[in-house]
Amino acid sequence: MSYHGRTFALLAGVALASLISGSAFAADAGPVADKPMSVKSPDVTSDRLANAQQEMAQGNWITHHGELSGQRYSPLDQINKDTVKGLHVAWTMQLGGVEGGGIWTHGGLEGTPLAENGYLYVTDGWGSVYKIDTRGGKGTLMWKMDPKTDHDWAGAVACCGVDNRGAALYQGLVISHTLDGRLVATDKDTGQVKWQRQVANPDKGEVVTGAPLIVKNMAITGVAGAEYGIRGWIAATDLDTQKEVWRTFTIPAKGEAGVETWKGDKSAEVAGGGSTWVTGSYDPKSNTIVWGVGNPGPDWDNAFRPGDNLYTDSSLAVDADTGKIKWHFQHTPNDPYDYDSVSENVMVDVDGKQLALHANRNGFGYAVDRNNGAFQWATPFVKKVTWTKGIDPKTGLPVEYDAKKDVQVYQVANTPTRDKAYADFCPGNMGGKNWPPTSYNPELKLWYIPVIESCNRVTIAETKGLPAKSREFFTGGGPSQPVRITGSVTAIDVTTGKVAGKFETKFPNLGGTLATKDLVFSGEPSGEVYALDGKTLQKLWGFNTGGGVSAPPMTFMVDGKQYVAILVGMGGAWDKWFIDATPELKTMQPGSTLYVFAL
Amino acid sequence: MKIWALAAALMVTGGTAHAGQDEAALGRATYAKANCVGCHKWHGDGGGGYGGSALSLRKTQLDREQIVMTVTCGRPGTGMPYFLRDVYSDDAADHPCYGFSRKDLTGDNHVAEAGNFLRPAEVEAVADYVLTNIKGHGEPNLAECQAFFGETSRVCEIYKPQTSHQMPVPQTAN
Repeated sequence: MSYHGRTFALLAGVALASLISGSAFAADAGPVADKPMSVKSPDVTSDRLANAQQEMAQGNWITHHGELSGQRYSPLDQINKDTVKGLHVAWTMQLGGVEGGGIWTHGGLEGTPLAENGYLYVTDGWGSVYKIDTRGGKGTLMWKMDPKTDHDWAGAVACCGVDNRGAALYQGLVISHTLDGRLVATDKDTGQVKWQRQVANPDKGEVVTGAPLIVKNMAITGVAGAEYGIRGWIAATDLDTQKEVWRTFTIPAKGEAGVETWKGDKSAEVAGGGSTWVTGSYDPKSNTIVWGVGNPGPDWDNAFRPGDNLYTDSSLAVDADTGKIKWHFQHTPNDPYDYDSVSENVMVDVDGKQLALHANRNGFGYAVDRNNGAFQWATPFVKKVTWTKGIDPKTGLPVEYDAKKDVQVYQVANTPTRDKAYADFCPGNMGGKNWPPTSYNPELKLWYIPVIESCNRVTIAETKGLPAKSREFFTGGGPSQPVRITGSVTAIDVTTGKVAGKFETKFPNLGGTLATKDLVFSGEPSGEVYALDGKTLQKLWGFNTGGGVSAPPMTFMVDGKQYVAILVGMGGAWDKWFIDATPELKTMQPGSTLYVFAL
Repeated sequence: MKIWALAAALMVTGGTAHAGQDEAALGRATYAKANCVGCHKWHGDGGGGYGGSALSLRKTQLDREQIVMTVTCGRPGTGMPYFLRDVYSDDAADHPCYGFSRKDLTGDNHVAEAGNFLRPAEVEAVADYVLTNIKGHGEPNLAECQAFFGETSRVCEIYKPQTSHQMPVPQTAN
């Protein structure tokens, strides 16, 4: 695969600097606001992606998590703990994609905007991509690419919402996914689709909700559908040739390592689950992609699938060139709770250690060595954990885990089993943290987790056999919500592995966090976007958008001024499957708006 | 007794004007608009999942009157919502739904509100649609799928005999 040489990277860097300073162009072109962008923007090379932290300092946000490490940390500091009280709405923009399809009455917004050279790139729930010119203190839509997602085909097998978590930038292209399983490449300047390929197959119950991750010259795609009896995978597409480079399955086939963890005669590779629907992270130094793997299928009836069920509920490290598995770390073997490990692995260097941090559905924040997966520490970030008494400090496994047992029961009173009418456990099956991203402040060494302080109830429906047909739920039971669920932003000090602070919220955190030098930004599904002091977690600012915030905030700079942007439009599974736990949220209406804040 | 009164009232309001075809189209459109698809699926076979287990309307033994009742009143204590706006209000005549008024719908008797309420004629139309197109039918098939969705979506591909689970060819965007 091609790799841009240093000369081109140097030139691109110079060109980028002059464009951002504006000096080379503004003098000739007159007021920026009057002149549409007619100059081709510089390509987003893999060198620029590897140096995304420098891009952040210049006001860009060119990869999904801000940088490839997953930290979502911006060094921009015009908006800081002293000035943030003056933050206000600078402009908004109405977007589309609110219509329903399949089993969903409406689409929603979960995406992280990208920013490059004064342009934002955002996606709506059905996968339209919008390029927005932010210069001149307002938003102007340059183009909208509608991929014509097949609403009925994909919407019937999307378990958890009509959502698209964002686009990616590579060379002169905007790379995006569609719910119906395509990878689409759009010309960054014209908005015309250059090519597309089918990566996931909705006929098998597969859909795609995550943002692509650009690694060198490849787009990395994850798949959703572990509730529909899929066999999960991570795939890499060469963006220069449009060919698939590798596809690594998360459920081993006969003869592959790990297949011994699927005991009994059920063929796991048919319907083992192991979805990969959250964008992972990449370490260019070791050329390693670390990606999260979801729940086994059926979700709750673990007696149907005895054994540890690798690599479900695991963080997985693969070689970026070949997709070969380098190491794995499993959080909840033979999972009876639906505790996916899809969450991002945030790469941080602390006290001479190279870590991967992962906030798991099971309520624990984990640190492992990102070179070999060696367990460092785990700490609960939720107020209440009842499925286990704790994580063994040597092995990193739940203390009740019994290697001699094929079916794990953990704290049996709180574990759903076939003989019980139901079981209540904390955190709930939706997790102490779901897909919404964490963020990390490398100066304070604080890791901020968007928490769902939860318990819920699951009733097992005994699974009789493998799914008779595709595109049908294969969950082995279902959840209900007998108790109220609240939320928090919880900070863990990564030098000690201990909780350093908790800002409690009335509602669960369904959007995620952004870290800056001395602030943490997040939002509530009841409407508010807010900023907390990064050290004390004291609330310093808030604004009620009137919409269900379920997307992460990000920050960028244009014309020398810093902005915070967030998509607002109730997305995800909450209002369909979990709303009984937060009855006040029943009044939130669907919508689709980009909010941009400034001082 | 209350059930009879409700059913009689609905039959009087709904049964007058529409020709058979209009009624069938209304029934199918209502099934989609009311988001019955969301739990019972397009084919009515229901099944498990995050929302719990929705009943299979293909295997149901409910008769027309009982289906009308269930749609109108929902099922307290389950995920089935009620679709006529005022049936639980305190001044509803005779409290036609299980004798309950709103104050009775607490705890195990909680019943969800529909996202979109229906008119009585629509409740009847969707009940007739279920009886004609879903109840007692066997496995969903291609003809039924295409009748529901039309032919512009790939949603019916899995019912075609030649689908081999090979990766579909992407339809052109733009």
